Amino acid sequence: MIQHLLYINHVSKHFGGNVAVSDISFSVDEKQIFGLIGPNGAGKTTLFNCISGFYPVTSGDIIFDNKTINKLRPDEVCHLGMARTWQRVKPLGSLTVLENVMIGAFSITHVTREAEKIAIEQLESVGLIDYAKKNAGSLSIGLKKKLELARVLATHPKMLLLDEICGGLNLTETETILGIIREVRDKGATIVFIEHDMKAVTAICDWIVVLNSGEKLAEGTPEEITGNPEVIAAYLGGGHNA
Amino acid sequence: MKQIAIIAVIAGIAAVLPLVIGESPYFTGVLISVLMMAALASAWNILGGYAGQYSFGHAAYFGAGAYTTMILISKFNLNPILSMVAGIVVACIIALVTGSIVFRLRGHYFGLASIAVAEIVRLSALNFDFTGGAQGILLTDVSLWGVDLNSKTPFYYGMLLVLVVTLGIALSLRTSKTGYYLQAIREDQDAAASLGINLAFYKNKALLISAALTSVLGSLYAVYIRFIDTSAVLDLRLSIEIILTAIIGGVGTVWGPVLGAVLLVPLAEMLRSNVIGDALVKQGMVSETSGLGVFLKENLAHAHVLVYGIITVLCILYLPKGILGLLGRKK
Repeated sequence: MIQHLLYINHVSKHFGGNVAVSDISFSVDEKQIFGLIGPNGAGKTTLFNCISGFYPVTSGDIIFDNKTINKLRPDEVCHLGMARTWQRVKPLGSLTVLENVMIGAFSITHVTREAEKIAIEQLESVGLIDYAKKNAGSLSIGLKKKLELARVLATHPKMLLLDEICGGLNLTETETILGIIREVRDKGATIVFIEHDMKAVTAICDWIVVLNSGEKLAEGTPEEITGNPEVIAAYLGGGHNA
Repeated sequence: MKQIAIIAVIAGIAAVLPLVIGESPYFTGVLISVLMMAALASAWNILGGYAGQYSFGHAAYFGAGAYTTMILISKFNLNPILSMVAGIVVACIIALVTGSIVFRLRGHYFGLASIAVAEIVRLSALNFDFTGGAQGILLTDVSLWGVDLNSKTPFYYGMLLVLVVTLGIALSLRTSKTGYYLQAIREDQDAAASLGINLAFYKNKALLISAALTSVLGSLYAVYIRFIDTSAVLDLRLSIEIILTAIIGGVGTVWGPVLGAVLLVPLAEMLRSNVIGDALVKQGMVSETSGLGVFLKENLAHAHVLVYGIITVLCILYLPKGILGLLGRKK
């Protein structure tokens, strides 16, 4: 039997009178690559912030690995095995690339040399090892996205929340990142993936949930979603050529 | 390893320095001030430089150490070392109360609260009886294990020891999990939290280490001077001087605060004792009775804070990494 790793159970998030996420429910299975898509302002990132502990939910429950996590702090969520990246990358600018990834690795070890070893492995796996001694702030956007990925992978997460990890990247860079994501899944991690790039999403995801104006519009396989007239009207119809 | 060797070499040179300069109480006094400011700025730097949490009220911890020690020695005749330990406890309690409330918030709240806490401590010391109020506390006689504490030399070595310990902590933190976590917090708190860093815990940890070291220096200073009042050990000026020393030297680095103290304390001393004004007069460049001569004599002595200010502005504009950054050293 496939286990649900993440349950989103009737989650709402209001900012004052503003409803950013309204009564959303879905579940993510182990080893799935799960896509969360929708037009700008659909509530994708808000939902991510709720799941990763940065926003308290207004109502509903978030259950990860059989634990209710909606009252936990971000660092506690991370220690349960859920790691996230940021749409707007957050490199620790004055530290080196290696040190950035080591800081991720310190969530699973206390020993500096051990953290360095894990960090080097991760830098090799995303192809950043040549930049190890460079300042993280000096990298190009494509490399910064790779750094974000290496840094969260160093926490050895069960589940990865990737917020537009391919945003702003060119075709080859996107291909590389998608390749890494597939590899990570094959090693046993589960991936939830916010993306604008429909090609990327349909290429890689097993299951997709579409949000629109804070509500769940549809869910299904990539084929079902791309064929869904409502989704096309709300999202793809808006000038996208996917 | 290289850095430990540098500490050892500098400590070695500092250890024989009093033998070289001989029994000059004046120079020994200046050197004690340099060592103390270097240690104070280094201790501040663990919180302000590594973790990016700027405390504008470190005088509170310095004063907590100084007052606790002086009260326990003068009223209860307690051993100076035990009094120092008691000072650490008091400073840590103040730090924990402040940190556990304020570190829940982000932004400049900690900086603001640190000033407020320091002022609360200062005004309390000024108005309570057991702290001697505005009169302060005078210590007529003190000894430890038969060592003559009327001489400055024991305090020179005491300050040197605390500085070496502080630098050792600063250095080992740099390459440890805690040190990396503090730097992550300084760079980006959201990223830090998402990587599993408990922000409040690590900020409190840095504050406690910093406050404890600062309090030890306060205790040492109090027994060395044997007189304290609020303007000597709890003043906002002291807090500012600590920050400026760290910033001008190179904030966030191991050696910056030491460099800042080595450059600034003698400079302040020269201005205070009017060495520059006197030299200009002696060289015949400025007549003692001329308008400029009188101005130099009367005003330059009070100018060291102004000079600090000007150097700070220049540093912020041209040397954001401090004077250490100018030397081209990364760490």
